Amino acid sequence: MRAEPFACTWLDTRQDRTDRVVLTANTDHWNKERGPRLERVVFRNDIPPSEALDLVCDTESEVDILTEISPADAERVQNSEHARLYAIDAMRVILGIINHGVEDAPVGDARTRRALNMAVDRDGLVREGFGGYAYPAAGVTPPYAVGGLSNLEPYPHDPDEAKRLLQEAGWPEGRALRLATLADLEGVANMFAEDLRNSLGIEVDVSVIPNEELLAAQHVLVEKVMPLPFDVLVFAWIDLTSDAPAAFMHGELYGETGPFRAGPPIERFEELMSEFATEVDAGRQGELSAEIDRFVYDEALSVFLVYPQALYAVNRHVNFVGYATTFELAETEVSEEHWSRKNGS
Amino acid sequence: MSSQPMQQATAEAGGRTPVGTLNVVDPHPLNWLYITWNTMEEPVRTDERGHMVGAVMEESRWVDERTIEIIVRRGIRFQDGEECNAHSVKRAFEEMQRWRAPHPPGSNLNIHPETMAEIVDDYKLRINFPELEGLVLGKMRGMHIPSTRFWEEIGFGYKKLGTGEGHW
Repeated sequence: MRAEPFACTWLDTRQDRTDRVVLTANTDHWNKERGPRLERVVFRNDIPPSEALDLVCDTESEVDILTEISPADAERVQNSEHARLYAIDAMRVILGIINHGVEDAPVGDARTRRALNMAVDRDGLVREGFGGYAYPAAGVTPPYAVGGLSNLEPYPHDPDEAKRLLQEAGWPEGRALRLATLADLEGVANMFAEDLRNSLGIEVDVSVIPNEELLAAQHVLVEKVMPLPFDVLVFAWIDLTSDAPAAFMHGELYGETGPFRAGPPIERFEELMSEFATEVDAGRQGELSAEIDRFVYDEALSVFLVYPQALYAVNRHVNFVGYATTFELAETEVSEEHWSRKNGS
Repeated sequence: MSSQPMQQATAEAGGRTPVGTLNVVDPHPLNWLYITWNTMEEPVRTDERGHMVGAVMEESRWVDERTIEIIVRRGIRFQDGEECNAHSVKRAFEEMQRWRAPHPPGSNLNIHPETMAEIVDDYKLRINFPELEGLVLGKMRGMHIPSTRFWEEIGFGYKKLGTGEGHW
């Protein structure tokens, strides 16, 4: 199906959020076993996250849940008076998108791709970059998803082999690797770059895409007309379900119509995706999704870094139910000690 | 074709009374989608582990290799009191299909433009695909089902922006 995949009408045109978005319980909702259990949810877009962290940890009634907690703040939440830390295994991956179309260096060469993967100390990245709140990545699919291969091991951290492979691929003398990143992944990119320098003995130039240039960068990546200004892009992606990750993860990253494909389509991948996309049996779909992840891993189509957990700071009187693929509050409830019940709000 | 019943979420009569107020700060860029999933009906949703669960869709089965039949759950009402039935699902599908790229996460959630939905009865519809489409149930994560009033007065970007492109 051709649906003009590169017509970027869907790219964000940036609209400001309203200060408060108030959700009121639908008491006539059909799924009463599920919820809603809360009378009202107020999304406070008038509080910056940094301020919200102070409020959820040190006070009550202003902020009950703060999402997207940085691992650097996890300990603070855990030690706070009013909040608890929730760490959810999420359908998220952080990887390096490899630009297979680079012409002046063998970036897309399979030996280079494997070298890049073997240059990474994932255990160190999890420990130092994520405070332990992540898993070392093997392929794209987290092992806790359907089609996740529990027997797929991350590429070993093997600097000697990585350097040998890179030399065999013919990396040009003096050629620096261009590593790009979005602003919120700069820390990860810097750690990744340091691994590459130490393991491969090459220079790595890190460029951070500022938020005001993000839309332009998205157009370049998705439309595939202008040359990409990177060899590897540190990138975070998600899935909307955990049942068939190849549909929304692998397809987006490597497929012919994938917005994040960087380089020419891959014939074998297209064959596998075609079989997967036309399979109507859920069990067989899961098998094919696993096979696709195995292929992507074996070919080292990306640099697989980590599967980060989703971290939340939650008021201690809130019984929070976290989701792997979304943020929904139907099952979440507050105890009798919660400020809103004590005040009769 | 084999039946493909979705995991059931049973509705029990006489549920609990919602209590309490929660203040949330969610800086995630998909906050707009999370709010939609917290407030709108949809054919399928996911459980805490991310596995697809039937919502408005009580059950589905492939009638033949290009036709899926959807059984709509009875007893669902929108917040404005209108009943949610097969006509609601068909309307949502057809509204979505009007646009080249309705979904902000990208056009890989698109369903073939020549796909047709037909009503069988008030709680059953069939969707006919021009080519094999094994990913349709996952794609329905992006198909929201609001009431008629929503379509007529607001729409996904219709009133505010004059377009539904990228605003589903």
